[in-house]
Amino acid sequence: MTAAELPDESVGLDEPSDLRRTFHNQLDELRDRIAKLAARVTESIPRATEILLTQDLEGAELVVLADDEIDARSLELDEACYELLALQSPVASDLRRVVAAMRIIAEIERSADLTVNICKAARRIYGHQLDPRLRGIIQKMGTQAHTLFREATEAYLTDDAARAAALDDMDSYLDDLQREFVQAIFTSHTTEKIELQVAVQLAVVARFYERIGDHAVNIGSRVRFVVTGSVPEFDGAARYAERQAASDLE
Amino acid sequence: MSESGDPMTSYSDTAVPERTVVDLAPAVHGENAAPEGPTVFETKDLAVYYGDFRAVREVNLTIRQHEITAFIGPSGCGKSTVLRCFDRMNDLIEGARVEGSLTYHGIDLYGPSVDPVEVRRRIGMVFQKPNPFPKSIYDNLAFGPKLGGIKKKAALDEIVENSLRRAALWDEVKGRLKASAMSLSGGQQQRLCIARCVAVEPEVILMDEPCSALDPIATARIEELMQQIKADYTIVIVTHNMQQAARVSDRTAFFTTEINSESDRRTGRLVEFDHTTKIFSNPSDERTEMYVTGRFG
Repeated sequence: MTAAELPDESVGLDEPSDLRRTFHNQLDELRDRIAKLAARVTESIPRATEILLTQDLEGAELVVLADDEIDARSLELDEACYELLALQSPVASDLRRVVAAMRIIAEIERSADLTVNICKAARRIYGHQLDPRLRGIIQKMGTQAHTLFREATEAYLTDDAARAAALDDMDSYLDDLQREFVQAIFTSHTTEKIELQVAVQLAVVARFYERIGDHAVNIGSRVRFVVTGSVPEFDGAARYAERQAASDLE
Repeated sequence: MSESGDPMTSYSDTAVPERTVVDLAPAVHGENAAPEGPTVFETKDLAVYYGDFRAVREVNLTIRQHEITAFIGPSGCGKSTVLRCFDRMNDLIEGARVEGSLTYHGIDLYGPSVDPVEVRRRIGMVFQKPNPFPKSIYDNLAFGPKLGGIKKKAALDEIVENSLRRAALWDEVKGRLKASAMSLSGGQQQRLCIARCVAVEPEVILMDEPCSALDPIATARIEELMQQIKADYTIVIVTHNMQQAARVSDRTAFFTTEINSESDRRTGRLVEFDHTTKIFSNPSDERTEMYVTGRFG
């Protein structure tokens, strides 16, 4: 048989077999542990809202104390990431996974701090009555922040870039609620239903919820980075490069 | 959005979405990229046969000046075979022949008027196992230039010193140039081979797994040496060590093997050729991703 008569080789690799199964299992385990931590923070959001609305000082104390454990877990997870980087030299999607994990851990840890801040604010406004309108918006903000964080966690666990991308729109609603809440605070204050000190505390609380939403969006961005390699800062960087190029021409 | 279930239990049945590929650094790779060096080698649909057996096919590569290009891939993927095409070493194997085109600065390397000896003067090769001549260090380096017609001792001395300096070996051997090259350590022998290659002033240095017989320190020396000399040479390296490719090369070509289910024969094939940063951060081809992350072997 001459070379020209050779049949076309069938296209395809050998049966895929994972050469680094142990390492990849470690990556999966790392993701599960991070998701577990994220789930804890997700749970503490409605809890903080309830503490705020029911003026539950005992519950506030428990959330504040529990944050030390979240810090400890975050540190452990960070170290697990360093270890994988140092020992396994991950590349491509494995590398993105570890790098994203480190940033996601930071987002989770910071969000836990924000739930603590909400509980601390609850202590500061202890004894002051909030009118039903304010209570209603707080409840809505709490629910929306909770939903955002839960969705971010799920997207992370399932490598679901589409779900992660949907977080942006959900966050816009939380931003709207925050604006609405600030307006409601003004109204309540001018009609002398709440004192200035309470009004300021509530405005800050609204900001805490809004920031939790932002952290959830950031987690979503990192999920998209893991799956697609896209980075959220890309658009800004591209605009900057364009402006630089334009100014070079001048 | 679903309200059902807690996030810890409902994740396993959701399908992973298909990967889309986004260039992480378009400023480096895209339209705004720095001007690329001149083309040294270009292959178009290159295929190599050993008799009836097609060892590798569909190789389309552009090797650029003063870059280090790494070939990676599993055994039998054809990377060494392709490398050997670049200095026509496959000519020495009976029954070997090349299809498709392979140009060197636009000249057909397999054209009838091309002298393979001249090709090998311009395109040097460093092998897996250090292969110094069983002669003195000095003679190893002076051998090529002498063949090239250089007779004056002063000129040869200068070439010997310069070559050894280029290969970062001078300080270690300057006091014993008359000693046998075989008395050097493995790593030193390999650097001597690089020096010997450099002594005839080639344009290209081909390296076929140059570090696989060396210890980590000797390997690090060779890798560092490659970085130092790449401003003057074009280097193509075949390596089994993916981390080495990631560390040293500007571009990486990933080859793999395909099995013909009828004949059970394997043919190598180029899968992806791109900037090394791209190959190791976000390769375009799923097969490359599987290989570099160890999900396929």
